Amino acid sequence: MENILIKGDHGTNFIPTVDFNAETGICELGGESYLEDTIEFYTPLFKWLQEYIVNVKKPITFNFKLRYFNTSSSKCIIDILHILRKYQEEGGEIKVNWYYDSEEEDIDDELEEIEDFMVETNLKINLLPN
Amino acid sequence: MDKAENAYQMYSDYIDSTIISYNGPFDAQVLSVIAENIEYSLSNNPRVSKKIFKIFIELAQNISYYSAEKQKNEEGNFFGSGILMLREMVDHYSFSTGNIVEKHQVLPVIQKCETINMLDREKLRQYKRKLRNMPSGTPGGGNIGLVQVALTADYPLEYEVVTVDESTSFYILNVRVNKS
Repeated sequence: MENILIKGDHGTNFIPTVDFNAETGICELGGESYLEDTIEFYTPLFKWLQEYIVNVKKPITFNFKLRYFNTSSSKCIIDILHILRKYQEEGGEIKVNWYYDSEEEDIDDELEEIEDFMVETNLKINLLPN
Repeated sequence: MDKAENAYQMYSDYIDSTIISYNGPFDAQVLSVIAENIEYSLSNNPRVSKKIFKIFIELAQNISYYSAEKQKNEEGNFFGSGILMLREMVDHYSFSTGNIVEKHQVLPVIQKCETINMLDREKLRQYKRKLRNMPSGTPGGGNIGLVQVALTADYPLEYEVVTVDESTSFYILNVRVNKS
């Protein structure tokens, strides 16, 4: 199974950095996510996860290192979390980490968003300083 | 002060406080330039910068998709158009957008703002989670951006709809973020 590696960009669109590794089971999504066509960007990521779950069947560690995401990206984050939770329910081993910027003074809004993700998906997300 | 001087004073205060103002199509190129400007002009206040940036992205995206007035960009693609303004006041920043809406959109637009302003923070978060769980393309799905704006701002949404002609109106939205 191929890995996914996308270099983030802070240009016309804010494209997140993606690093999905099929050998280690470590998936990272970082940087900024504000795209014109969010679904188009995220669909291959959903497919990769589903393929990994069906074929590789090994543990997944998902690391979120997003500094900024818009509401349409947040819908896709929810979709990723739903895929992971379903895998967990079927006996898969998963770990979800959310890295926040430890130098940032005002992270109340961010913490609220992560809490919302947990409430919405019923999935445990570990909060870690980056 | 006579009336003319008064008006002049008002006008110059207005101009002095304006950091960014834009009128035209909301395409990706333009939005990235404005985003850069916001980051640059608010770089001394990270809290405000982050909030205004977040508000800007959601409102600009709404205009780009939903404005009833479309304009061609340089590449010949059509995008929703409108106006946008960022102003610095004594104790807060004021971010405003304006765009044309069709007559039948006026009531839903006002109701949307009224509903959001009626909810406290906890209820607003619940509402956001509910909207987020609706499948993409569901009517009203686009409201989530505005809910996020209300969660990010420090004051309730300020809005006004002005009749332009028989079939269209102009929808103005103003959002405030405190300096500290």
